[in-house]
Amino acid sequence: MRTRIAGLLLAGLAACMLGAVPASAQGFNWKAHQGETIDFLTENHPWSNAVVAQLPEFEKLTGITVQVDTFQEQQMRQRLVTILQSKSASVDVFMSLKSLEGKLYAHAGWYADLDPLLKQPGETSPAYDFADFSHALVAGETFDGKLDGIPLNIEGPIVYYRKDIFQKCHIAPPGSLDALMKAAAAVRQCQPTMIPWATRGLKPALPYTFSNVLHNFGTDYMDAEGKPDLCSPKGVQAVSWYADMLRQYGPPGAVNNTFIQTRELYGQGRAAMAFESSNEFGEMMKFAHRQDDTGLMLLPPGPGGVSKPTVIGWGVSLSAFSKKNAAAWYFVQWATSKAMDARLALQGIAPPRDSVAQSAEYKAWLQQVPVRADWERLLTRMGAGGTSEVGPPLERQPQAREIIGDAVDSVLLGQASAHDAACNADKQIAAMMAQQ
Amino acid sequence: MLLPGLGFVALMIGFPLLYTLWLSLQHFSFGSAPRFAGPGNYARLLQDPKFWEGLRVTFALYALSLALQLVAGLYLALLLNRTRLLRGLLRTLLVSPFVMPPVVVGMMWLVILDPSLGIANWLLQTVGIPPALWLASPQWVVPTIAMIDTWQWAPFVALILLAGLQTLPTDVFEAADIDGARGWALLRRVTLPLLAPSIVTAATLRSVDLLRFFDIIYITTQGGPGDASQTLNIYAFKQGFVFLDIGYASALMVTLTAIVIGAVVVLVRLRRATQW
Amino acid sequence: MVTRRLAAGLARLQDGVQIAVVATVLVAPVIWMVTAGFKDSDAVTAMPPQLLFHPTLQNFTTVLTTMPFLRFGLSSLIVAGGSTVLGIVLGVPAAFAVSWNRMHWPALLMLAARMAPGALFLLPWFVMFSAIGAIGSFWVLIVTHAAITLPLALWTMLPFFDALPRELVEAARIDGCSDVAVLWRVVLPLVGPGLAVSVILCFVFAWNYFLFSLVLSDIHSRTLIVAAFNFVGEGVTDWGALMAAATLIALPPVAMTLLGQRWLVAGLTAGAVKG
Repeated sequence: MRTRIAGLLLAGLAACMLGAVPASAQGFNWKAHQGETIDFLTENHPWSNAVVAQLPEFEKLTGITVQVDTFQEQQMRQRLVTILQSKSASVDVFMSLKSLEGKLYAHAGWYADLDPLLKQPGETSPAYDFADFSHALVAGETFDGKLDGIPLNIEGPIVYYRKDIFQKCHIAPPGSLDALMKAAAAVRQCQPTMIPWATRGLKPALPYTFSNVLHNFGTDYMDAEGKPDLCSPKGVQAVSWYADMLRQYGPPGAVNNTFIQTRELYGQGRAAMAFESSNEFGEMMKFAHRQDDTGLMLLPPGPGGVSKPTVIGWGVSLSAFSKKNAAAWYFVQWATSKAMDARLALQGIAPPRDSVAQSAEYKAWLQQVPVRADWERLLTRMGAGGTSEVGPPLERQPQAREIIGDAVDSVLLGQASAHDAACNADKQIAAMMAQQ
Repeated sequence: MLLPGLGFVALMIGFPLLYTLWLSLQHFSFGSAPRFAGPGNYARLLQDPKFWEGLRVTFALYALSLALQLVAGLYLALLLNRTRLLRGLLRTLLVSPFVMPPVVVGMMWLVILDPSLGIANWLLQTVGIPPALWLASPQWVVPTIAMIDTWQWAPFVALILLAGLQTLPTDVFEAADIDGARGWALLRRVTLPLLAPSIVTAATLRSVDLLRFFDIIYITTQGGPGDASQTLNIYAFKQGFVFLDIGYASALMVTLTAIVIGAVVVLVRLRRATQW
Repeated sequence: MVTRRLAAGLARLQDGVQIAVVATVLVAPVIWMVTAGFKDSDAVTAMPPQLLFHPTLQNFTTVLTTMPFLRFGLSSLIVAGGSTVLGIVLGVPAAFAVSWNRMHWPALLMLAARMAPGALFLLPWFVMFSAIGAIGSFWVLIVTHAAITLPLALWTMLPFFDALPRELVEAARIDGCSDVAVLWRVVLPLVGPGLAVSVILCFVFAWNYFLFSLVLSDIHSRTLIVAAFNFVGEGVTDWGALMAAATLIALPPVAMTLLGQRWLVAGLTAGAVKG
């Protein structure tokens, strides 16, 4: 009896020990691709800047050398398409904005399918925890059932406003688009030297912010049958509101403005409100006093009470023509790991992982400055109820967005009425759809 | 002697030209395969309002810039010819602007002319002129770009015209002096006609670049506001590298090349006509 | 007597004032740019503009450390230098041949490159060179930039060759010199200034050209001009660093021009007109 029990105990102990083998023994071999070199094409974005700054850690961990090629967004894209079009292997991993180019690139077969890499044992570190990523963002990275990228961040336009100015001028934070316009007028009256409203007027850039306005008016670029619908009464109202706000209360020369100018104007204290990406939060708060006097809110709902913020996320993808997918995947894992995302969150890069938002350091960082907590709250709301539709949902996004930008700009510049501009845009989009 | 050069040109320039010509006859977008289209792209071009607008902008910018540069260049050349004062300094200054990289020139002026953040408007306001929109104004963007280009290239024109001035026969001027010709009359009746070949040379050299205006616009306005500064070159580039419609972009570029060649032929004939 | 002197003096004063104005207009923006490189970033776009400020070398340090500035500079040097050499080696004999034989069509053909928009060459070249896996290599960049320097070399040298007395060349020929020898021994020494102009202009324009490098270079061969775009982007606009980078990037071509300005002006003014 005793020996049997002893035997069972021993067996039990042995089983425990086997089960408790530390992760490193059955661990992930980070050095599997030691000595290889991969090429990373990226744009000048807070995420990539932060990751690149930490490259030495990756190179020590894996022995893989990463060659980084950084460009401004436009130039990066021009370079990328030339490389991918000629099926060249000169790029292995790159940043990609799926809401803009995802459909086109996926259709062209330029993204490498990440599912095999994720699922194959030994290719992905057990600590990676892919399920941790926001489902909405992962959906945005998936085309035709294939996972084409890993989400890096979450961002969308929000309204930054000067709490102190509002207080001074007795303006309550507006609860509707109508009230927002009135607030701008009030600022103009109370502080004539300040620019009440700063946002994008630059043609290719404005759909990002305009889409939020359009959706908040309760309408869409297309109707239920997939036909262009900007010329609906609500669509025309949206165009009119956006253009009027900029024309009457916006900075001079707003038609050329994008996030660069808006950030400067608000940061320097010359604009009372800025409608810009949540991404700009880090930079804007670096200006003197802004951390203390900035309030944040989502774009208020339109007349119908709808609030549907625009939410997009950048992703990192592998090239379908790269010969080094496995090594590049190691880089992607490291750059989008829980640890990395947690570190980046502390630098103001909104995490695409649910767990990071819950982590202790992040929470502590948020508590440090009250406005950070506001920012985080907004991001959560955006992640929960937003849409990633920036321009009309067509494959040829740049052209579609240019048509929208043209329409809004023509009203902004006083060259057309909102109705004519919107209807014209619909015609052009329909023509584009017919061509395809 | 000629062979290496011609060989190089055939390979590096001739082949791409032919390839682009072929591309212009295809429906071809990045991400898909080419389909033969025949003259389809060219037909589309003729019906494309943005093409005609681009043509208009190209010629407006061209004419304005050329006029400004020729006038300013002439003024500078006459000044330099006439005076010995600080010749060395002036010469140094004249050779500097056009050797600056367009990227640098564009970024410099972009910040200087920013309606809210730039020093130009501040200067205007100190002398009581209301601030201008410069590159942000649909009406003034073309003149502003012409101004930037003139700032950069008028000195180059001046150097060419100065050369012409210095080789003009002195006996004609002596005779004119005896006849009492002065000032405007001298300029109009004697100097300009004699200088005409140089002027046309300078015009030809600048025309080739002005008709293909790209760099400064790419860096500052990218064709904006709206399409107000979208020259044909910018439009073609956008179609090709932003909209990824390579076939159409090729057709646009071939058309632009034809226009430039046409202009050069006209100017070369003009030069022959002004020979004396 | 006095009035004559007075008139002359007034004329000089007038000229002097005009020169001052011209000099200011030409130089002021550049001075603004250079001084902006020494200011803090927010001071650059601050209103009213700060005329007195604490100069800082921070921007230059940023530029030189956050990117491999010197490596990019070296790349630019290799590309500009290499393409200048190639353009001269191909263009000078061609110019001589055109001038001597009074043929115009080869010249026009070679100048055709100048008439097409740069972007026209990008895709065909990319297709050509990626097919042989050479994208990003220095020789590709040198060869493509030679498409700029060759026509330039041709155009600058032609008037100089045209201005040579034909008897000189004929005499050399009669003496039994081959064409190449004639060019090398007899003609070239005579067109020294023209060569100087060619070299300077070729180098400068090749250095300044960004479109080809944007698409055809890789991280090893990236030129300085293309790197300049990186200072403006999402998350950061470092105006001070931008202006510092701009100053540094403009320095080599401007310096080279200033050093060779005598030849450049002499060459442009003497040769460029007759042709």
